[in-house]
Amino acid sequence: MANLLWLQGGACSGNTMSFLNAEEPSACDLVTDFGINVLWHPSLGLELGENVKVMMEKCLSGEIPLDIFVFEGSVINAPNGTGEWNRFCGRPMKDWVADLSAKAQFVVAIGDCATWGGIPATAPNPSESEGLQFLKRAKGGALGEGFTSQAGLPVINIPGCPAHPDWVTQILVAVATGRAGDLTLDEFHRPKTFFSSFTQTGCTRNMHFAYKVSTTAFGQRKGCLYYDLGCRGPMTHSPCNRILWNRVSSKTRAGMPCLGCTEPEFPFFDLAPGTVFKTQTVMGVPKDLPLGVDRTGYVKLTAAAKGAAPAWAEEDIFVV
Amino acid sequence: MATDADETLRREIAGLLAGGLETEVFPRAEDSAQVNAIVSRLQSEGKDLASKLVIAGFTDHTITADELEQPCETCMYYLIKRRFCDLPELMLPVEPEWSCRLWRI
Repeated sequence: MANLLWLQGGACSGNTMSFLNAEEPSACDLVTDFGINVLWHPSLGLELGENVKVMMEKCLSGEIPLDIFVFEGSVINAPNGTGEWNRFCGRPMKDWVADLSAKAQFVVAIGDCATWGGIPATAPNPSESEGLQFLKRAKGGALGEGFTSQAGLPVINIPGCPAHPDWVTQILVAVATGRAGDLTLDEFHRPKTFFSSFTQTGCTRNMHFAYKVSTTAFGQRKGCLYYDLGCRGPMTHSPCNRILWNRVSSKTRAGMPCLGCTEPEFPFFDLAPGTVFKTQTVMGVPKDLPLGVDRTGYVKLTAAAKGAAPAWAEEDIFVV
Repeated sequence: MATDADETLRREIAGLLAGGLETEVFPRAEDSAQVNAIVSRLQSEGKDLASKLVIAGFTDHTITADELEQPCETCMYYLIKRRFCDLPELMLPVEPEWSCRLWRI
């Protein structure tokens, strides 16, 4: 039996909604099949008010072993570093986060806000939000760069806006069943099993990417969304086209550009007007090229690929 | 695929450009803000063929900018088989060696 406590900071509950839609395994499977005891969760917890506070104090005293501490949402430090804008059970949430993280065997950050600050931390960041161990790309965050949980791991980051439900439950199962040692994390503490490949990996529009045929308006079946509509699939680490959403589709398959929501900079360009759903260019060349590709190589590749494009690549084709 | 209507319109465009239609070849769209500004103008002012060509800065030859040749042939909006510009605000038949300041790859 592994005790799990889930708290929310500066959050929209989107990751909770995602988690509750998990299928492989489901949220119920965690309890019935994998021995996870949910001490409390904002949407599932039975305790209210003082009882929640007492339960958390028992976690801090060690009376209740805290195996997995899950945090969703940003850590809010406003105003002026006090955290008073986000109080919970009688004290700033950021203080609960610090104390509970120090006691937990494993700490798991779910979603962009908890991992690197996400949308709340977008400039000018009025809530002084940050993630548990990062603020965007900068190491540190609420717990500090050197933090490790009782089990010796840094915060396990499962980013996304929201995170895919199965990324969440599969990592929780790994931790709860004693297989945390099998997890390898990348430089941003993301499990490599999910975040080594790109959103583009498995995208059904890859043939249009290859032949440099662009989608020019929303709703088109043909074309790649990278060239004009700001898709970040070639630069974003996620398995969105390997582990499908609702087991059916993905943003790019449905004609929606990837927003890069598993990367620390999300939302990109601080949501400045004209930057969303529009590929940013410098003299006609995308500002952000597919990872590892340089400008000269990209120009050469484009000319060659465009010239080799078959007729079908320019026509409507069913890619969902 | 190319159509007779495309061919007729392509000849008309070629005639306009060869006949001295002064288009806004420069400045090229250096960044996305300038691209958006030109596209906005096309949406509001590009009501007829000539105004589209003028605003987009069409030429019947390739322009080189920032050490990059910018022919329709390599542009993301160009449909090779149809020889056609697929940018929604233009949607015009073109020739591969033509150019405009909305060129992008």
